[in-house]
Amino acid sequence: MANPTPADVLRGTLDLLILKTLTLAPMHGWGISQRIQQFSRGVLDVNQGSLYPALQRLGHRGLITSEWQVTEHNRRARYYALTPRGREALHEETASWRRYVSAVEWILATS
Amino acid sequence: MNRLTGLSQRLRSALRRGAIEAELDEEIRLHLDLETERNVALGMEPGEARRRALAAFGGVEATKEAHRDGRGTRWLDDLAADTRHALRNLRRRPVFALTAVATLALGIGANTTIFSAVEAVVLRPLPYADPGRLVMLWEENPEKDWHEQLVAPANALDWKDRVAAFADVALYNTGIGSATLTGEGAPRLLRRDRVTGNFFSVLGVSAELGRTLRPEETWASGTHVAVLSHRAWRDHFGGDSAVIGRTVQLEGEAVQIVGVMPAGFEAPLPDVDMWGPFEWNQSDRSQVWFRRAHWPRAIARLRPGVTEEQANAQLQVVVRQLQHEYPETNRVMGAGFTPLHRFLVGDSRRPLLVLLAAVSLLLAIACANVGNLLLVQAAGRERETALRLALGASRSRVIRQALAESLVLSAIGGAAGIVLGIGGTRLLEALQPEGMLRVAHFGFDARVFLYVLLVTIVSGIAFGIAPALWSGRRAPGDAIKEGGRGGDAGGAGRRWAERLVVAEVGLAVLLTLGAGLLVRSFLRLQQVNAGFESEGVLTAAIALPEASYDSVRVPVFFQQLVEQARGIPGVTSAALTSAIPLTGATWTSDFVIAGRPPSEFGSEVMHRMVSPDYFDVMRVPLLSGRRFTAEDRAGSPLVTLINEQLARQYFRGASPVGQRIAFDRVPDSTSKWYTIVGVVGSERQRELAADPRIEAYFPIAQNPGNYRILVARTAGDPAALGPAIRRVVAGLDPSLAIVSLRTMREVRTESSARDRFLTTLMLLFAVVGVVLAVVGVYGVMAQLAQRRSHEMGIRLALGAEPSAVRWLVVRHGLMLVGVGLAAGVVVAAAATRSLAALLYQVAPADPATFVAVPLILAAAGLAAAWVPAAHASRVDPATTLRAD
Repeated sequence: MANPTPADVLRGTLDLLILKTLTLAPMHGWGISQRIQQFSRGVLDVNQGSLYPALQRLGHRGLITSEWQVTEHNRRARYYALTPRGREALHEETASWRRYVSAVEWILATS
Repeated sequence: MNRLTGLSQRLRSALRRGAIEAELDEEIRLHLDLETERNVALGMEPGEARRRALAAFGGVEATKEAHRDGRGTRWLDDLAADTRHALRNLRRRPVFALTAVATLALGIGANTTIFSAVEAVVLRPLPYADPGRLVMLWEENPEKDWHEQLVAPANALDWKDRVAAFADVALYNTGIGSATLTGEGAPRLLRRDRVTGNFFSVLGVSAELGRTLRPEETWASGTHVAVLSHRAWRDHFGGDSAVIGRTVQLEGEAVQIVGVMPAGFEAPLPDVDMWGPFEWNQSDRSQVWFRRAHWPRAIARLRPGVTEEQANAQLQVVVRQLQHEYPETNRVMGAGFTPLHRFLVGDSRRPLLVLLAAVSLLLAIACANVGNLLLVQAAGRERETALRLALGASRSRVIRQALAESLVLSAIGGAAGIVLGIGGTRLLEALQPEGMLRVAHFGFDARVFLYVLLVTIVSGIAFGIAPALWSGRRAPGDAIKEGGRGGDAGGAGRRWAERLVVAEVGLAVLLTLGAGLLVRSFLRLQQVNAGFESEGVLTAAIALPEASYDSVRVPVFFQQLVEQARGIPGVTSAALTSAIPLTGATWTSDFVIAGRPPSEFGSEVMHRMVSPDYFDVMRVPLLSGRRFTAEDRAGSPLVTLINEQLARQYFRGASPVGQRIAFDRVPDSTSKWYTIVGVVGSERQRELAADPRIEAYFPIAQNPGNYRILVARTAGDPAALGPAIRRVVAGLDPSLAIVSLRTMREVRTESSARDRFLTTLMLLFAVVGVVLAVVGVYGVMAQLAQRRSHEMGIRLALGAEPSAVRWLVVRHGLMLVGVGLAAGVVVAAAATRSLAALLYQVAPADPATFVAVPLILAAAGLAAAWVPAAHASRVDPATTLRAD
């Protein structure tokens, strides 16, 4: 149990992806999962169930807000949107993600 | 991260639990629908589309659970679950639950009651403006043994003028005068206190109707004004606001009502119907008597920013000035002050705190008892708990659940305790001796509620912690392995139970020793010989209005009163006095005995006017010389009788009879010399607990006065003759009202009312405490005996005598009780010292009490251990052995 599980790594990534997705427009949960799949050209298959706790977490941190609205097909859905603080967090986390990736990349390249 | 947003969201989540669940359901449903529709659009069968959607989602319930955890309300859900579980557990065992709740309610209720009194009397600030700056001024005189005494008005008025630290000084009379109200239906007596005109403004209170008194009204102006208390306004004037400005007849004088005080106003002196100004003359200020006679109390308001030290330093300067300016009266007169609240609360503080300590002990015993019950319950559920631990429940969860049960119990007990406490408060108000608790009502305010809440939670944890820790600490294997026997005869549970028994017995002995000392003291007080025979005497105080009774009519009236009273069937003798014993209502002076050097003057001799038969009626023995006779009348030689105390202190064996005495410090040509004609036994003038003081009696005929008390000895019940006395008074003057009508037995009872009050409550608490402790000992012993029944069975089967088996259990019980007693006695030896000030002729370490009380408790403990022991010795070996 002492080793970090893959889920722990993914959790941070999922938050980042959600924030990025929401820069386009407010979306509901299913919409977010579809958009992530499209963006990643099917490479990233988000576990759709884990999306909702992640959305809740981001809400608690004040990075996103949510509101019940009606979809274009006339269904009630909860739409999530970025807050200004969410936008800042996205910039910071994107930067740190890039540092992380390049570090890993560098290690892989040199070994 | 924004903590506030998170917190408020969590709070919202907690409050909107149902709504949030529904929203989450809806969100997930929509998600699944959309995913299914997409799959269908991709060409799947609807069933397959749905299945794929669910698979992609990956566990709807797990998501919901994760979401719930994320809300941060987990603990709340757990709490609710624990509470529900606890309630279900308690409902399953109604006898246990009821016993525990009743025990707690008793303990918490008693605490609520006593604390509400402590709160109202000791803690609550006085109902005046900025009460922290009010101080009670007093005078002291080492030569006369005066401490915190009443003040001389001339001195108090000089302090007011000369001490800059005092914003103002107000005076009020401590003896409430009675004034007969006529012309408003039947004549009625109103209790009137005389005050200075600035009395209300110093306290910082205003009238509800009209106005209060004005500073200049202190002085006589020919017109008379008065302010009514709310109660008097309601009772005597029908609550009519038109009374303001009206002139009424009081004692035959025209008095204008200028104001009515609000209902909540509490004067330093309780039960006053109206306040009128002193109406002194400005010329009085230069009179010697105005500086010599001490009768009002003085309250000062300190200027803002002035400390008590500064004010006292300034006061002492003025005190020294006055000593130099008026050596005749002020040579050794000192003065000082005490914060008003402390002064007024004074004597009530200690008894109340003692009672609070007593009820706290009581509650602690109650908690120990409930703790015991819970331990027994926990032992019964041992295997259930062990199973839960074995199945992976965390220890903290198990402990929390056990604690939840005790907190639920204490919450119910606390709620019931509040109800009991409110009832108890009403009872206490009704039982309190007049004037003891300063305030007549001690309601249930926020502070009392907080206290009860705190007490409830603390006791819930106190009695729950032992069983809870115990159930959490057991290794799961052990309890399960112990099998059907439900053993643990030597385990931690037993040790906890034993500790609780020891604690309970210790607390009970502490409580009972305190009560025992007070009971002893109270009994001593009841046996005091007050110097007169109080049984079978009725007293009736009469005040003749000066306007209609002059020096000729007064003696005639009282003469007729005594004669007609004697004529009432059932009255065997009747007499008059200016004061009755045990009430302290008399004054004192200096005196000198003829032929002795001026330095041998005496101080503080009490004065009393009596008619010749007074000593017969009261059965005060004549020790030497003669009593007053009808010959000692106005114009005949001045005579006096002295009490034994005076004879012993100032005549040291020589016969005082025939000697002459004057009641001045430095006799001059105007002094009156009285011949001592006899010595009588000493009556206790002030209270039962106070030794008699030196006193001189004078014949009423030589000292007429408008206020006299009729004392009548009766053959039967004196109280039954009250109406006959009223008829006699009405027959003599229908406009007269009797100031007070009571039997000497009532007077005597009132004199120890405070002690009775305290003793009764302490005794009550002690009895309840002992009963609880005995029940506790019994419960634990029964439990232990039952647990050892297997062992007993084997012993009996192997041929042990039943008496030996019985002794085994009894010895165990006695050992526990003995340890508890020893601990309690040791603590009590130190703790009862705080009772010293409340005890009359009983030492705080009174040996008789310290032997008797533990013996009684040991006997009770023995009985509590005996019953289960007898049970144990009667077990059928076959049954217990087969129980395996």
